[in-house]
Parts: sequence; C-alpha cells; structure tokens
Amino acid sequence: MALAIAALIATLFWSILSAAAGQPPGTSRADIGYLIYITTLQAALSTVLSLVVGIALAWALNRLRFWGRTFLIGLFASAIVTPGLVVAFGLLSVWGRAGWLSGLSQSLFHVPLDLPIFGLGGVVAAHLILDGAFAARILLARLDAIPQARLKTGQSLALDPWTRFVVIDWPALRGTLPGLAAIIFLLAFTSFPIVLLLGGGPSVQTLEVAIYSAVRLDFDLGLAVKLALIQIAICSAIILATSALAPIVSSLDHPAVPRWRDAGTARVLQWGVLAIATLGFASPLLAVLIDGVSGLGDVLSQRAFWNAVATSLWIGAASAVLALMLALIAAAGRASATSRLARTALGASAYAYLAVPAVALSLGAFLLVRNLGVAPDTAGPIVVVIANALLSLPFAMATLAPPFDAIARGRGKLIRSLDLSGARQFLDIEWPLIARDAGLVLALAFCFSLGDLGVIALFGTQDFVTLPLLMVRAVGAYRTHDAATIAALMLVLTVAAFVALPKLFGRLADAGR
Amino acid sequence: MLAVDDVIFVYAGWPDSYRFSMEAAAGEITAVRGASGAGKSTLLDLVAGFLVPTSGSIRVGGADISALPPERRPVSILFQAETLFEHLSAARNVALGLPGERVGSPRIAAALAEVGLPDIGAQRAATLSGGQKQRVALARTLLRDKPVLLLDEPFSALDDETRAATRGLVQSLTLKHKWATVLVTHHADDISAIADRVYLLENGVLRAA
Repeated sequence: MALAIAALIATLFWSILSAAAGQPPGTSRADIGYLIYITTLQAALSTVLSLVVGIALAWALNRLRFWGRTFLIGLFASAIVTPGLVVAFGLLSVWGRAGWLSGLSQSLFHVPLDLPIFGLGGVVAAHLILDGAFAARILLARLDAIPQARLKTGQSLALDPWTRFVVIDWPALRGTLPGLAAIIFLLAFTSFPIVLLLGGGPSVQTLEVAIYSAVRLDFDLGLAVKLALIQIAICSAIILATSALAPIVSSLDHPAVPRWRDAGTARVLQWGVLAIATLGFASPLLAVLIDGVSGLGDVLSQRAFWNAVATSLWIGAASAVLALMLALIAAAGRASATSRLARTALGASAYAYLAVPAVALSLGAFLLVRNLGVAPDTAGPIVVVIANALLSLPFAMATLAPPFDAIARGRGKLIRSLDLSGARQFLDIEWPLIARDAGLVLALAFCFSLGDLGVIALFGTQDFVTLPLLMVRAVGAYRTHDAATIAALMLVLTVAAFVALPKLFGRLADAGR
Repeated sequence: MLAVDDVIFVYAGWPDSYRFSMEAAAGEITAVRGASGAGKSTLLDLVAGFLVPTSGSIRVGGADISALPPERRPVSILFQAETLFEHLSAARNVALGLPGERVGSPRIAAALAEVGLPDIGAQRAATLSGGQKQRVALARTLLRDKPVLLLDEPFSALDDETRAATRGLVQSLTLKHKWATVLVTHHADDISAIADRVYLLENGVLRAA
C-alpha cells in the first residue's frame, strides 16, 4: 500500500518535472519573489494571530461553564471542516461594502462603512476565523488533559489566575504550539479559495492561486510547473523541519475536569474573549445561512444546482470511503510493523500529501492525463476522487494511527496468544475500538471533499461541476444570491456530516458489543 | 481537630452513596484503609473541598468548613504524583501561592532544611528523586502552617528505604507542628509503622478498625 501511494506521488511529481523540462517559456509574467513574500507574510500573520486567539479562547473555554458550552465547543471544532469559501463569503456578508455592519452604520449614522475586506486584511481575517477556532479546540484538549492532581495541588495553594496560567496551563500548551503553528502555517500558505475570493487581485495572492491563474487564465503551463515546484519545496522543508516536533492530539473527546473558577478581572476577561470569539466565528456563518435563505427558491429550481449537489455528494462519499480504506490499511500495517523502516515508510507515504497542496497535486494529475492522451473530461471524476482522498489522508492517519498503535502496544501480546486471524482481529477487537474514529475520518474526508476547490478548479468542466465550483462561478457572474444559497447549503451539509457520522459509527460500534 | 460528621456523598448518575464519619486529632496520624476504588480519595476530596457533601458537615477546630472553597480551607494535601510543578525549581515550588514570598528567602531555606534538603532550592523539580519531591512538598506544607494535612497514597511510588525515611519525616513533622494528619493508603505496613488510629472504608461506609 505504501509502495502504491509512493508510486503515485512519484508519478505526479515526475509529470510536473518532465513538464517543467519540456515547456517553452510562457508569455505571462509573475514576480515569483513577491509571490513567495506575500504568501509567507499572510501565512505568518495568520499563524501568529490564530495562536494568540486560540490560546485566549481555549483558556476562556477551559475556565467557564455555561449552558450550551458543549455546543459551542463543537461549533469551534467544526472549523477544521468548514469550507474556506463559505467563511470568505460570510465575511463579505458581515464586513463587506454591502454587508451587515455597513448597513447598520448607514441606518444609524447615514454613513456606509468601507472596511478593507479585500486584500491582506480580509485574507488574514478569514484564516483567523478558521484557524483560530481550530487552534482553540486543539489547545482546549491539552488544557482539559492536565492531570487532576496537579489542578488540585494548584487550587489548594490558592494560585492567582496569572500564576495558574504560567505554572499549570502554559507547560501543558507550549509543547503543542510548534507543531500546531506548523500546521496552521501550511494551511494558510496553501490557502486557495479564501485568497481567490478575498485576495482582491495580484497584489495579494498565494502560490496556489498563481498556479491556478497560470493554468486556467493564462494557459502558461511552464510558469504553473515552476510555481508548483517552489510550493512543494517550501512545504516539504516546513514538514521536514517540524517532523521532529511532538504530534498533536487529535481526539475531540470531552474529559471530565474539576471545577476551579478564576475570579475577578480574569473572569471578566474570559467572558469578553468568549463573546468576541463567538461573534467573530459565528457571525459569518450565520450571515451565510440568513443570506442563503433569500435565494433558496431560485437555486432549488435550477438543474445545474441539483447536478452539482449530486456530483459533490458522490465524489465526497467515494473520497471518504477511499480515504478511510487507505488510512485503515496504513494505520493497521504501521501498528503491526516490527521494523522501524516499515513504520516510517507507511507514516511518510500518508503524510507526504501535506507537502503537495491541492492545486499542485491537481496540476500533476492534469499533466499526467494530458501526457497519457486521456481527455481531462474523461479522467476528471476519477482524479478528483483519488486526489481528494489523498488530501484527507494525513488527517485520517493522525486520527486512526494512535488508537491502532495503542491496541498493538497494550494488547498485542494477548491478541497473538489468542491466535486470531487478521479478519477476526480487526472485526472483534480493533473495529469496536476504532469505529467512532473511523466515523470521524469519514466525516473529515467527506467534508474536505465537499468544500474542495483546489482539485476541481483544474478538472471542472461545463458538465462536471461541484458545489464550490458552482458557487465560484455564481460569484464570478455576480449572481450573489445564488452563491449565498449554495454557500448555506454547503455549510449545512458539512456540519451535518461532521456531527452525524462519528455519532452514527459510535452507536454502531456500541450496538455490536 | 478534624471532624467529619455523618457526611453523605453521591456521585451524579451513580446509584451508590458514600457515608463518612471520622475524627482526627492534632499531633496524630489517622489512617484510612480500603481497597482500590473503595472511596478513599473521595473522602480526601470532600475534606479538601474538591467535592461538596450531599449532606453532613466537616469541621476543623470546631468551625464548619463545608462551604469553603479548597483554596480557603485550613488543609494541605499531598498526592502520590503531580505534587510538584516539574519545570519550576524546588524553592519556587515551595514559594508558590505565598504572596510576597521570595525564592531566596530565609523562610524557604529553613523549610527545605527542616525536611533534610538544605541545598536543593535552585534545582529543578524534574531532576529530583521521588522521595525528594515528597520532602519538598512537605516543606511547602510547613510554610503554610495549616492544621490539617491530607496524604493521598504519598509513599506508594517510593522504594522501601526512602519510604521508611519519608514516613518517619511525616510522623515527626505531625508531632512537632501538631497537625491532624489523615493518611489514605492500602499498604498495611504504612499503617502499622506510623498510624495512631485507623479507619476502614468498606462498601461505601467508613468505620473505626
């Protein structure tokens, strides 16, 4: 399996390299130095601000108890799967020239607000909403995992809120921060739909958007290949540099923690942080839902919409199943492998896709089918399913590898002494223990695929359209009501899948015990 | 000194209840024995204030402390592990939670000396042995001078020699500072070595052994 995945990576990489060697110099021009600078700048700003917001929000959520807390934590957890396109659109609805805030200002002060939503500010704000909430959820899990005895000791010593944070919270958080920063940086560095919608032109665009423009708008494959190689080189360097860092806990469980409230100013600050973060995260999503309702009738009557829904659903389902199967095989194989080399190979083949962002991966596939003489229209659906599954694989492995490792470590000898066959071992022992995680993997992969624009952007045609592509085309044609409705439906589908699938699989596992 | 008067506690969603009544005198070590999961730590959590009794009262020196939050109770607590913050120095661990107390103050040096560790103030807690960590935690208890000391299996992770030495230190400090020390353990040798009175926790009920 590792060999097959490695062979696929090598083939796509070879496609890009051979195209780089064979392409004549393109006619379009790009300031590659500036592209790297602006991509890095927005990613760095997004990373630093997301970590600050993540720490503050995790701190507030860890301390406060209120009605709806579990729902709110779940809402922030869904940031990982919320399509960037939806958030970017929601931001425009709230902060844009014709948005809620401008409307409020107009009606109160008779002056419209003209906030700089397009450009660096808008791009960083959209990343901040998604990545700040994602960081908060990860960091909250670290705070919730602080040993109870340590908390009890601190409470009995009457530590003040600041000392408590420095002495108890910070040591629990700091180990996670470098790895988390690397992930957020990579997500922002390879951001595509947010920059496409909010970048506001060539002055603020990422390498991904530049690759897309080179292929689809300028038809300059030479430039696209050059940019893709730069992108892969930078992402690989970041992954290699951070591979030695501690892994990030991916569990979304809610462990019990003892009550220890902070008092006074700290408590006021916590409520303030929570209120601002909730408003900042929820208002664009709420705006998408409200705006989406207004155009519902028009959109539902369009045949193109239903075609896009069907395409998105079957591609999402197929990608999710493929991603789950690949991750199960890789994780089980890795856990049972005795040689260090085999373990590393199985892990690296899954994580390699973090280094090959969606548009670069799509470009490799695009060049490959072109070299093979297959029409992109014919290959499109298969390539999109495989590419989306591979893009979910790092997250799928991060979710499934730890439980498989734990089973092998804790019960490996017992399983071997019972002489169970591979299938019996999986069905009787491993599956009941990992079923909920498998549901989470299916949900993540389905949602990633549903919100993907990077892969479909190069393979989409008039007849092969997913919801994100349909939405971008609606935005491009100034049909904003249609775009709002599509965004709202994508949001509803994503959150429903993210909430329902892990629960469903958890119940199936419980029923089978 | 410490009186737990007919305290009943029920965990939310659990059918069974715990019933505790006990007394611990100043200058004495009162041991609570029981199997794993019998509710020994629940008793300590109730006295320390991490859990709130369903009914009954907890008094120290005659004053009802049942409604006080943990940080305001006249109680110190030591666990088997996680007693110190490992990234801080021994002296900083002792000074924690004492406003205005400087790491290099004579009081901290004296407390560390009293537990037999006069020279390790600057050392990081992570570099200390299990026995040294428990001694530093006892030095911290000395500075707070609270009348009740709760010990939750504090010797379990120690080797025999260190265990005997730490037990002896707890005994001498209890006598000297007139603490009412409550030791929770399932080790019979700890009880026979230092306990002045013993309670047995069985089937959710605490009774004198």
